[in-house]
Amino acid sequence: MILDELEARLRPPARPMPPYPPKYIVLASGQPLVIRQARRDDFPILLETVEPLARVRKDFYDIVASRMYAELLGQYIHRLLDPYCLVGTINGVVASIVNGRMIDAKRGMSYHTLTVHRGLRCGAHMFAAKMEYHMEHLGQDEVFIVAESFIGFKRWMIEYQLESRPEFQHELGGVPSYCLTRALYDTYKPRLVAGTRPVPPEILATADTLILPDEYPQIPGFKR
Amino acid sequence: MRQVGIVGIGHSKFGRMDFDLVDILAWSSLEAMKDAGISGGIDQVFVANMGAGAINHQTAVASSLVSRIFLEPAMAETVENGPASGASAVKCGYMAIASGMADVVLVTGGERMREVIPWKATDFVATLTHPDAEYAYGVTLPAFGGMYTRAYMERYGLEERHLAMLAVKAHRNAERNPFAHIEESASMGGIWDGPHRDVVNPIMADPLRLYDMCPVSDGAASLVLCAMEVADRFPKKPVRIAGIGQATDTHCVHNREDILDLKAVRLAAERAYTMAGLGPEDVSCAELHDAFLILEVAISEAVGFWKPGEAKLAIERGDTEIRGTRPINTSGGLKAKGHPVGATGVSQIHEIVKQLRGEAAREDRQVNDPKVGLAVNFGGFGNNVVATILAKE
Amino acid sequence: MVSTTELYAVDTHVYASRCPRCGALYHPAPMVCKTCRTRRDPSVTVFPDFDKVPMEGPCKLLTWTRIYALPDGIDRPSSTFGIVEFPNGLRALGQLMVDEPRSGAALVARSGLVRELVGRDFYGLQLFSA
Repeated sequence: MILDELEARLRPPARPMPPYPPKYIVLASGQPLVIRQARRDDFPILLETVEPLARVRKDFYDIVASRMYAELLGQYIHRLLDPYCLVGTINGVVASIVNGRMIDAKRGMSYHTLTVHRGLRCGAHMFAAKMEYHMEHLGQDEVFIVAESFIGFKRWMIEYQLESRPEFQHELGGVPSYCLTRALYDTYKPRLVAGTRPVPPEILATADTLILPDEYPQIPGFKR
Repeated sequence: MRQVGIVGIGHSKFGRMDFDLVDILAWSSLEAMKDAGISGGIDQVFVANMGAGAINHQTAVASSLVSRIFLEPAMAETVENGPASGASAVKCGYMAIASGMADVVLVTGGERMREVIPWKATDFVATLTHPDAEYAYGVTLPAFGGMYTRAYMERYGLEERHLAMLAVKAHRNAERNPFAHIEESASMGGIWDGPHRDVVNPIMADPLRLYDMCPVSDGAASLVLCAMEVADRFPKKPVRIAGIGQATDTHCVHNREDILDLKAVRLAAERAYTMAGLGPEDVSCAELHDAFLILEVAISEAVGFWKPGEAKLAIERGDTEIRGTRPINTSGGLKAKGHPVGATGVSQIHEIVKQLRGEAAREDRQVNDPKVGLAVNFGGFGNNVVATILAKE
Repeated sequence: MVSTTELYAVDTHVYASRCPRCGALYHPAPMVCKTCRTRRDPSVTVFPDFDKVPMEGPCKLLTWTRIYALPDGIDRPSSTFGIVEFPNGLRALGQLMVDEPRSGAALVARSGLVRELVGRDFYGLQLFSA
């Protein structure tokens, strides 16, 4: 690939990152949630999925969706350092998106968790998947976390018993940071992290081409 | 005593409602009045509510409601009996009419519990326990549900699988109920024998799992009651309140003679049956207070549907399905319809009226030719229970 | 004048209440004895209070649970509770300090600090393996 000299100067150096192996979780409804890494060609759909939620002034959807849009765009046009994005789909429709990045070989930073399909705890499963990615596939020992939404954050803080690390300045804000350590992850993994690999081909195929959601419970009467 | 009938029913969606509590109460009140074909003429209003003061920072909500929908100068009171507030308010409405103090009564139950974070809602509900012997330990209502479930399973051999079957039934019924909080289905493959059960349906109050418990909900339900002698003023045939029974038990769960004996349920049901001149064999359908699915099991036995320990056989036979021999919680129950605490008792009776009128057919939830319905509203952890029997005229 | 020691001393025991007239035991304390109708006055101005009887000692676990959704103000992943019965017939709820509880197990109840509230510590029953 030929990289323009100016573009080369504007792109951060990329660290090799092991891919996230896809998995599926059988949800309470019996439907599988397929969780896989977002490919480059997924990003236009992901951006369009997130965009409507940036105007929902409830439950911090506006700030989470706005920031995630910027992060996804930043990843898409190669302006973020070592980012990743995982997408969860139900019957191919985007249900939830999570993202973050590597700080260095042993430390990661969680960005956001955004859920469109409510009622099946997809957000909880996706957050757990991203912690799994940092710990078990990227080989890291610590993940730094903050949150805009008090309820979501308190849930993670209590469920994972996150360690307070106020000395760490998280990119997303000036609030005190928290950290998931390897020891905490190993302790709480049995209750919080689930999934089966490999994904049966017929189920994985449903997640190959992402489908935009037709409905947003957060936006009654939504029409695309 | 005069006979009392129900001539109007109203219900809001249960779930999350982002407007003022009294507006929520007003919404379902107006629906009930519309169903009754009236815009006024209410003598008395009873509002069932538990959380307005602690959660929403509002008090005297019955007086507020009267003014919100221009029912002045109707008499009005708020009734608080914990989770049994709804049925207690209906009982008050019944007594007002039966005594001759009122001809037409509006009963509305409602809550806005999601105005606060879930941990505060959990703490608020726990305040109905004994302050020193229970609440101070940080105990919650799910904790009592868990302890009751364990003791019941050890004595009668009920399995977690039976509770999962009830959860699947509740979700299936709620999917057909436009007012239900929960709109997603649940399958045995997801919540019971799926590969990821322990994470998808985690233990929340051992041995109770997430899908064995009701959500925290906002919402309201309303009824218009009238003296049977004036029922011809209203367009729909009245459903008669045939019997009401209520009983109390010890405040502290540990002080019950037999922790598994829901004595207050048993006595409340017996009193209601006696007043109605009926027995459990006459009941066509029932709404039983399943805040925790174990309570659908235990209450169904305590009201005489099955012998103690035999509800599990009924579950396996499918007796409690809509098309079964003893349909229970056709609305989706508290488990899937939702549980705005003060609304629940009124909502249960709303469902029974709907069934007895044949109106659940529109939602494909109709019980076959019901004649008598029973609602059991369980206050505290069984220390104050109200049973209501309705009969088709 | 009350000494500083007395001012800040904390009674760390957990008590049942005994009717001073007929000896009936209660936990928690009612305001009247169910058996002989003796009234109880917590302020000890009109009637005496009921006698205090320490509750610690051997007991049997009747049922238990571990909960994972705790009320506001308690920030830990879980709490474990049990209902126990004492040889004298009294029953109580307590904080279970056993990793793998079993209904029917013999336990020992001791009083311990269960919760720290603003300006007040709550001492309750903690249940240990016998």
